[in-house]
Amino acid sequence: MSEIRLQVQNLCKSFGITKAVQNVSFNINKGEVHALIGENGSGKSTLTNMLTGIYTIGSGKFILDGKEVHPKNQVEANLEGISIIVQELGTLSGLTVAENIFLGHEDQFVKHGIKNREAINRKANELLQQYGFKHIKAEHQIDEYNFEDRKLVEIVKATYFHPKIVVIDETTTALSQEGREELYKHMDRIRKEGNTVIFISHDLPEILDKSDTITIMRDGVYIDTVKSADVTEDDLKRLMVGREVTGDYYRPDYGEKVSDEVVLSVRNVSVPNVLEDVSFDLHKGEILGFGGLSESGMHEIGKAIFGASYDRTGTVTLADGTEINDIPTAIKHSIAYTSKDRDNESIIMNQSIGDNITLPSLDDLAGKCKLLSDKKLSDFANKFAAQMSVKMQNIDQFVSDLSGGNKQKVVLARWIGKDSDILVLDSPTRGIDIKVKQDIYQLMDTMRKHNKSIIMISEELMELIGMCDRIIIMKDGKLNGELPRSRDLDENLLISKMV
Amino acid sequence: MDSTKNAVGGKKMSAKVKGYLILFALVFVSWLIFKILTPDNFGSPENMLSYFQASLIASAGAVGFYFVLVMGMFDFSIGAAIILASIIGCKLAASMGLGYMGLIGGCLIAGAIIGILNGVFYIKLRIPSMIVTTGLALIYEATANIIAGGVEQTLPSDLRMFGQMPGNLILALLTFAAAYFILNYTKIGTYTYAIGSNEFIAKNMGINVNKYKILAFVISGIFFGIMSILTISYGSSMVAVTGMASMSRNFIPTMGCFFGVAFKKYGMPIQAIILGEFMINIIFYGFVALGAPTAIQDVITGFALLIIITLTTKINKGEIVK
Repeated sequence: MSEIRLQVQNLCKSFGITKAVQNVSFNINKGEVHALIGENGSGKSTLTNMLTGIYTIGSGKFILDGKEVHPKNQVEANLEGISIIVQELGTLSGLTVAENIFLGHEDQFVKHGIKNREAINRKANELLQQYGFKHIKAEHQIDEYNFEDRKLVEIVKATYFHPKIVVIDETTTALSQEGREELYKHMDRIRKEGNTVIFISHDLPEILDKSDTITIMRDGVYIDTVKSADVTEDDLKRLMVGREVTGDYYRPDYGEKVSDEVVLSVRNVSVPNVLEDVSFDLHKGEILGFGGLSESGMHEIGKAIFGASYDRTGTVTLADGTEINDIPTAIKHSIAYTSKDRDNESIIMNQSIGDNITLPSLDDLAGKCKLLSDKKLSDFANKFAAQMSVKMQNIDQFVSDLSGGNKQKVVLARWIGKDSDILVLDSPTRGIDIKVKQDIYQLMDTMRKHNKSIIMISEELMELIGMCDRIIIMKDGKLNGELPRSRDLDENLLISKMV
Repeated sequence: MDSTKNAVGGKKMSAKVKGYLILFALVFVSWLIFKILTPDNFGSPENMLSYFQASLIASAGAVGFYFVLVMGMFDFSIGAAIILASIIGCKLAASMGLGYMGLIGGCLIAGAIIGILNGVFYIKLRIPSMIVTTGLALIYEATANIIAGGVEQTLPSDLRMFGQMPGNLILALLTFAAAYFILNYTKIGTYTYAIGSNEFIAKNMGINVNKYKILAFVISGIFFGIMSILTISYGSSMVAVTGMASMSRNFIPTMGCFFGVAFKKYGMPIQAIILGEFMINIIFYGFVALGAPTAIQDVITGFALLIIITLTTKINKGEIVK
């Protein structure tokens, strides 16, 4: 029988009237990858944030190796043997790689108040070498590295001291396949060392493949703990949602002819060091997918179409001849865009849900003399928040209080409310739970049937295969193949064109 | 990937050299413009040494203020702090007969107390630092006025060692070295950048953010205390003012500090502050040599500095500037 590493006992946490975690109890064993799954707002991140000192514990206990722990911050958590790799960027600009790795733990390099820079750099470089991240230099500013490399630095930071528990909170969604493989390798190493990984992800095949045990939460309540080997993806969906997830997950049709009418034409678009001579057409009522590795340039496609790229050359033209070169023109001509970097580029964190939803539609909602009616704005925001099932107290709640998935729903509600004709959705289901994913897919299908045109950029190959009329694969900033919708498409075919 | 990073490494080296080249070029161009316009009474080696000595005063304060600015806070009480600290130092040195000990101790302790007040009020009241320090500036001005009794405070001539070479240079160099050391060789420097980058993450890393914010104000206050020693030693006297008249003294150290922030990406903020202040002084003295009216001087100086900071600040495309 496995030895218990962590006992979660009667844990509770509330934010105002919202009960985020309610009387949760379960055990996590040594030497296992223990997945924590649930819909957005189910309380997974709140629970691990309490464990890692990011939130204070409401009530209840964490007992680690027989001893109660209640860290007040991440450093205290580290000292107890607990660390976390977060979903978004967790490194700090303005500091070197070494300073980031040892932030909060500098005292080992400080003597008489003087920081030994050579020692801190030497130690960090040793660690980076050990991890195989030789291209990252300890003494360099962290800002010199891309998102992926900065995540690798976070892996070192979170694991170099061999913690008893490492929490990996939806990190894989932010990584390319290469980055994911690197992370999996270290998860495996941690498990083999007899330590524990708490793994949070919405990707159920990934959960089944990489974890030993799975705990399911729903609406802040503990549902069940199961062995990965004993369950299927459908079992997990049922446990997460609380009922059978019925109906078609992706759109069911095959062989439907897409209109010949071109609504958007992209010609010879280049962005220095990112895109090179990209040309394609988007048709009326079409879902056009873009896939590739994270750095393939596919994410820049969305920005280029929306007029948000810098130094873009080439043309993006609508059917009426309008050229899209800036964001106001794009919005005015019914183009919507959701960025992959939700927190920094799509959501205004310290504004209400209502403000976020109504923002691009203010001109449409303004009455005579351009005055805005509170009631009209509230009705509008409430309607589309409800349509997207945003879990909230009311539309006056700040977006910063919402879970990652609910933030994404707010972004989508904004553009659905705007009733845009062309939607550029970059990673629209990133960090979104299974039920809402299904809702989004159905929404996209409905929009398509109503002659809306959609560009879907995604690192999830299955959703591209399941939803798109055509899939364009990007590699090194160029188009590297186009695949029409077919029942025979599989991930391997796409991957062969990506790498 | 390796080659990219090697290229990045190479770029880093050249960035610092580039930073120096830009700064020295700016100093040279500033000198050249006024030398051409008024060749006889500007820009001789003796004059340049004099401008440099004058620039050391503001540089000493600016290198301390950098800690506050990088953390994302601001200080509108700089002028009031300098006036109050100078008057206290002068009173202790002259009226109370404590000599240099009174001057140095008075200015430094007054600066430190002002820093503590700025920091504690900012943290406890939880309102923007700009508002807190503006309010406190009025109090510092009034306090200085009460201490001075409405009389101009003059530092005796035998206590003006720091107003001339080599005293001013030695004190300034020690100050710069201290700022450089704190920034690069203590936890305070690391935490300053960490808090300035993302306060929430810094807090989660166990950094006592409030403590280090107060500490930044205290460091800034002490360095303004040093600036006060240099100011009163150089000018020999100080008059207490009221009604926010002290604000005019904020400009030069703040502008120098902006140079530091602008050149942070080149990895040389302290050096940039020193050379930036030198350039500002060259421009000021250039206008004086030209005999230009004060209003014109201010307009041109303001524009010149805005242009220089704009041109030298490496803002990435899409980066949000507030």
